[in-house]
Amino acid sequence: MLQTVIVPGSLALAQEALARHPGAALMAGGTVVMPVLNYGTDSFDTLVSLRKAGLSGIFISDGKASIGAATSLSELQERSELAFLAHAINTIASPTIRNMATVGGNLFVEQPYGDLAVCLIALGATAAVADGGAARFEPVETLVRHGVAKGEIVTKISFTLPAPGTFKFTKATRRAFNSAAIVTVAAVIGLEDGKVAECRIALGGVGRHPVRAKSVEEKLLGQTFDRAGVMAAAEVAGDDIEPFDDAYASAWYRRRVTPVHIRRALVGE
Amino acid sequence: MKHAVVSLTVNGAERQMLVAPGTTLLDALRENQGLTGTRRGCEQGACGSCTVLLDGRTVMSCMVPVETIDEARVDTIEGLTPPQGLHPIQEAFLEGFATQCGFCTSGMIMATAGLLAKNPDPTREDAVRAISGNVCRCTGYEAIIDAVLDAARRVSAAGSARAA
Repeated sequence: MLQTVIVPGSLALAQEALARHPGAALMAGGTVVMPVLNYGTDSFDTLVSLRKAGLSGIFISDGKASIGAATSLSELQERSELAFLAHAINTIASPTIRNMATVGGNLFVEQPYGDLAVCLIALGATAAVADGGAARFEPVETLVRHGVAKGEIVTKISFTLPAPGTFKFTKATRRAFNSAAIVTVAAVIGLEDGKVAECRIALGGVGRHPVRAKSVEEKLLGQTFDRAGVMAAAEVAGDDIEPFDDAYASAWYRRRVTPVHIRRALVGE
Repeated sequence: MKHAVVSLTVNGAERQMLVAPGTTLLDALRENQGLTGTRRGCEQGACGSCTVLLDGRTVMSCMVPVETIDEARVDTIEGLTPPQGLHPIQEAFLEGFATQCGFCTSGMIMATAGLLAKNPDPTREDAVRAISGNVCRCTGYEAIIDAVLDAARRVSAAGSARAA
């Protein structure tokens, strides 16, 4: 049963609270922790909330974005310089949940949720992690696989803004609104002279963690960017994924349709 | 287990409450403040029946520990309702038969209030999206979506009448 709720007013105080209560649950927006708490749990008796730790805010300058980990998905969606992300964020849960859920929290949700993390991997984003000493920096791509150690706090996410038109996104779902992913595809594709010069493709919904479609990327790099080329490259996506069965789709179906959604994300129908 | 004193501005009035650790905003409103218009549904963030406005944005009050929002502004269905008569959103729901058992209605109305505060002239898709986190097991949603759009017309008409 919950005994203590701590609402630290700074990052330093939050780290101190975690050091003092090693078993505490760390909470940002609460959309994952609170259902556990409301259902009833003995797994923690102390809650440390990051709501007032000064970790929210979006800073953009010189073509780089730095986003506080406690920034809500709604705040992110409303930021005009990040309009390229608005459509992707719109596919995540409902507006009410997006008012609560945070950028940092999204890195830790179970698949097939966590579509923002898929976008961040495509953007090559880096997470700043405070661990008591100096902050360390880790690519979001590896962070979503390994998580963070006890006592560590993700404080911000940084990425270089993609050139106009280079960010691609599609999400296949059961329903048009507020539905978890069957397959999520986010990508940044940079072209030079019609050939693929830069290529990061991230997939969600097709493994225990969001992954890079590295085999597809390798096949695309240096190639002419057209429908036939993309379709041929997307066919090898099966090497990059380990899909699972859930209520939304079977592993077989996810594997079958992943190349289709990569094509749709990159070149449309 | 240490209780905490939390101050909130609830429907425009300053309120102080003594709460046990982990008390949700939903419980604080219903049990402490007697504001039972906010419904307890799934307590998992899946149904939307506990939707209220927190500092002007919709949240599911079952997922907000009230100690984390000290000094915040909270608006509920009771605050939306004028002393006499009904709010234009409530009129739209009533006259559009957008309610059957009524359990989801206060959440639906607060989700509508959150939408119209940001977007006074929503499209049908905007309306569907705004209530996409709110479950109704009776109506089949069409009447609710119509009511949200009707509410937008009524609210902007009331706004222009006040301005004139």
